[in-house]
Amino acid sequence: MNKVPQFFKDPNTEVKDMFGKTISKKCGVITVAFLLAFAVHLLPSFATDAFAKEAFAEQVFAEEAFAKEVMAEEAAEGEGEPQIEWGQDVFYKDWEGNPLKGPISGAPAPELGENDYNNYEFAPSRIIIWVANQQHLYFGSFVLAVPIFCMLIEFVGIRSRESDPVMADKYDKLAHDLMKVSLTAYSWTAILGGILLFTFITLFPGFFKYMATIFRPVMHVYALMFLAESGVLYVYYYGWDKMNNDPFLKWVHCSLSVLLNLIGTVLMYLANSWATFMQAPGGIDEKGQFLGNIWHVIHSTLWNPVGVHRILGNIVFGGGIVGAYAAYHYLTAKNAEERAHYDWVCYVAMFICIFGLIPLPFAGYWLMKEVYAFRQQMGITLMGGIMAWLFIIQAVMIGLLFFAANSYLHNGMARVKGSHRYMKYCKYMILLLIVCFTMWMTPHTIVMTPAELKVMGGAQHPIVGHFGVMSAKNTAVNLMITCTALCFVLYQRANKKITVPWATIGNCWIAAIFVGAAVNIIYLGVYGYFLPANQRVGLSVPQVSSTLTALFAGVAINISMFKDSESYGDIEWGTQSKVGTYAIFLLAISFTWLMGLMGYIRSAVRLFWHVTEVVRDNSVDAYTLTIGEAGKMLSFNTLFVWTQFVIVFWVASLTAKKVTSEKAPDGVPVPAQQQQ
Amino acid sequence: MLPEQHDILWTYLTVMFSLFSFYVFMNVVMHCRERENLNGKLWGSIFGAGFVANFLLTSHIMDLAQQAQMATIPVQVVVVLSTMFVWGVFLKGEGLQDSSPPIVRGAFFWTTVSILLAGYTNWLPQQRSDPPPKAAAISGDITMEQFVEMGRVIVFGAKEVAGQKSIGKGQCPLCHTFDPGDNIGRCPNLFGVQERAGQKIDEERYQNAPVKIGETDPSTGVVKGKPMDIDEAYRRGGSEDFIAEDYLRESLMCPSCYVVTGYGKDADTKSPMPVINKPPISLSPVELNAVIAWLQTKDTPGDFANVTVPLPSAESSAPAEDSGGDEEEAPLFVTGNESVPDMINTLGCPLCHTIPGIEGAMGTLGPVLHEKTNAPNRIKDPNYKGKATNTKEYVRESILDPSAYVVFNEEAGEPFADGLMPGDFSNKLSVQAIDKLVDFISETEAEG
Repeated sequence: MNKVPQFFKDPNTEVKDMFGKTISKKCGVITVAFLLAFAVHLLPSFATDAFAKEAFAEQVFAEEAFAKEVMAEEAAEGEGEPQIEWGQDVFYKDWEGNPLKGPISGAPAPELGENDYNNYEFAPSRIIIWVANQQHLYFGSFVLAVPIFCMLIEFVGIRSRESDPVMADKYDKLAHDLMKVSLTAYSWTAILGGILLFTFITLFPGFFKYMATIFRPVMHVYALMFLAESGVLYVYYYGWDKMNNDPFLKWVHCSLSVLLNLIGTVLMYLANSWATFMQAPGGIDEKGQFLGNIWHVIHSTLWNPVGVHRILGNIVFGGGIVGAYAAYHYLTAKNAEERAHYDWVCYVAMFICIFGLIPLPFAGYWLMKEVYAFRQQMGITLMGGIMAWLFIIQAVMIGLLFFAANSYLHNGMARVKGSHRYMKYCKYMILLLIVCFTMWMTPHTIVMTPAELKVMGGAQHPIVGHFGVMSAKNTAVNLMITCTALCFVLYQRANKKITVPWATIGNCWIAAIFVGAAVNIIYLGVYGYFLPANQRVGLSVPQVSSTLTALFAGVAINISMFKDSESYGDIEWGTQSKVGTYAIFLLAISFTWLMGLMGYIRSAVRLFWHVTEVVRDNSVDAYTLTIGEAGKMLSFNTLFVWTQFVIVFWVASLTAKKVTSEKAPDGVPVPAQQQQ
Repeated sequence: MLPEQHDILWTYLTVMFSLFSFYVFMNVVMHCRERENLNGKLWGSIFGAGFVANFLLTSHIMDLAQQAQMATIPVQVVVVLSTMFVWGVFLKGEGLQDSSPPIVRGAFFWTTVSILLAGYTNWLPQQRSDPPPKAAAISGDITMEQFVEMGRVIVFGAKEVAGQKSIGKGQCPLCHTFDPGDNIGRCPNLFGVQERAGQKIDEERYQNAPVKIGETDPSTGVVKGKPMDIDEAYRRGGSEDFIAEDYLRESLMCPSCYVVTGYGKDADTKSPMPVINKPPISLSPVELNAVIAWLQTKDTPGDFANVTVPLPSAESSAPAEDSGGDEEEAPLFVTGNESVPDMINTLGCPLCHTIPGIEGAMGTLGPVLHEKTNAPNRIKDPNYKGKATNTKEYVRESILDPSAYVVFNEEAGEPFADGLMPGDFSNKLSVQAIDKLVDFISETEAEG
């Protein structure tokens, strides 16, 4: 019998868990799906709970700080002069809503002058630091994402060892191969980090001195964490083969990947604190003086949303890179077996990529909410001021991502036997995507000449202008995500002949859920036009809920219908069309560009400040670039980083060539030619 | 990137194009070495020449600045595409098409998408945002009209952009609207604010919420409704009565002292508006008064009867860091009440220009001002990139933005030095003065 990857195997088989207990996979899939859906619905309450705890902790700190202040004042009363000078935090408030006071524990922020900036003749310092930063971030993102994949893939491999040892080996080998690539990239990331550090010190010495003064302990902890990350990484990678055979050691090995990810996440969060402090500082007074609490400096208002956003972004970016890597190897594969393998790897990477992509906009919403809460004019500068056009470009990029994802799924469906039943719907889905994409990228207002303005009769077009507001845009993007989810549902069931007795009811439910979600999304979108702006914003929550419900409930019902299903045939791995393969390239490059764009927007919204409202940028580069200049930089950064990725992959492949003579393990995925 | 520096994207691409042509050359050579039937010398020469051409083009492009690079890069694109075409002919002709490496197709796909995205961003409207000056400088006497205009510039910026409100140092239009019936739902419409400001002291909600009159706002330290308790640098003189100006000043310096219903947070007790005299806006006392003056007159243009803020004196407005300099030398400002020769001599134009009708104006560092005859020709010059369409517009542009078009010095065989003429005449001339100057210079022509 031909083998298929785990995603498409008959779910009605029994396996043993790590304790040797027999469990039913059928039950497992359904349980996991429902638990996932349940978790999503519970998430807001958990989040609220977490925020409440955090707020409580803040309150305790505020009370302690106030008590210290009172004690200091009381102690000082007898001696005439207070011993401690107190400053007011620029962000943190006490429980009465007044600025939190803290003991001044540092020097004021410097007023930077000409001598605080150095430059080369060939390019502005700001451009050089941008390139250094972006390249380091790209590589950092990749090396943080790969251990997440490896952890998941290795875990899946361990879980399927008893039921399907061949497949388990395949998963294990894939995780090992990815780690090998990551190892080279890891050194590269460290080198780029060094370049970034030297660039900061040499070109922006005044600013870096201030940051180093504030973040002194954090920088040391960061360096030590890097050491820990390296140690765990080397043990994890070089101990792979030694720990592979003994089940207990294998679990220890898998646990090391968890540790690796934990350290990696801490590293990322520490580095994030520098960027979020620059954008929305806390823990200092308005003169930039440190107020004695390093946690406040680290944990500024944007720290959490940026962290979550970056984790998801890393997953998508990493998925895109691995997908492109596999797609390239698919195109260069020498035989059917290799083609089948890399086609399958493409699928796994795309699955991970889309898995991260779907919640990404919601993390973005959270980040923007916090930006607005910090300074409304900062939010408006982003969404309605000088950065507004960049968000239109972002819309275009997200549209491209969804096109690429759907294109891959549509093309991928063609290699699944039985998919002819659903292929006819693809054109309608593409039509919907085009309509939504057009709506999604329609600007609210655009810059025009007076003559053009007169002809149009105002700053907004009488018809098209209606699609420029958030009601239309939220509707469009939610429909696009729902359409992608539907596409995935069809892809999943393409080779299944549903045989459960409740097949009709199940199909009706799936149809009702998707149609209901679409109707609700459209209804709320239209209803938004009749509400004031501040109330209209609230409609995005039920719209998003509709999308998520369709996604999770639709997929859960779909999977549960596969019980006892008959197969039209296995997936013909290795027969993916070139268009589908290039769709992966498009997804990878679009996401690389988009990641650079969003990073630029987040950083550039500080306008002429190094640290918002505290350290002014007095260099000659303190201006905000035109969109065109920024676009060229983004394209350069994208091409440059991919050139480096090609070099890194090539270096990593040098060791692989020694062992190519070894015969590949038999089994899945099986090339299409051999399935007949 | 500065104009004299390289374009980062094209610089990178030109290097990559050269590397690509070298790769093609090596690929062809390897194929020829592996197959005896191939004419290695012929193909090697062809692709070697392609590589040399690309390399020379790259060297040339690396010597150019941005604009010139942009003009030359299409030539290299043609050369690279030709190389690819000939390479394709070679592979196809020799039956080697299966040997075409996917990395090249992938790289060109990658590059094309990236260039298209960069092109898209350059197709959109371009607007560069410079940091605002730390504090606006006022020198010499200033009229109320100029002071109000200064306030308008702080609100909207110097440039008007059609189709959208441009945003000045104060960033007000991000949230406020100013025309009747206009509302973007973020902050109150300021049409009629002068009238409302005068009545605010009698409003019960103002008297009690969120803090009462006489109480201190905790976030700013401003005592509500007490104009004489405000920070001394911003405090007005005169009576202690609370007038419209005081409400406007208080709203700017203490937005949460009173929040208009429906526009605040926490049950309209906190305003989302930043404190205008603190970072990031940081208006100086003079700038803040200028904004108040504009708010007091914006609904009745040209009528300054409502303005109660005083005109600033030179000392009160000079930036602190500049005040320690040469105190005897008064900064230059031409109001327009002077005669044209006086204006021209005060501004120092004769040092560089020869100007018919102005005694002693025989300068040679800049072009001779025969603008009645020269300006129309310069507008038609293909190198002219300015926006003027007639002589007066050209003269005005030349004064306010000297680098918009740099005249070619026929005698020296090179353009006059760019950057020699000061670019800050907009700060030295009143509107009336520049009109007078433009009228005069537009009529200058060769004598006799």
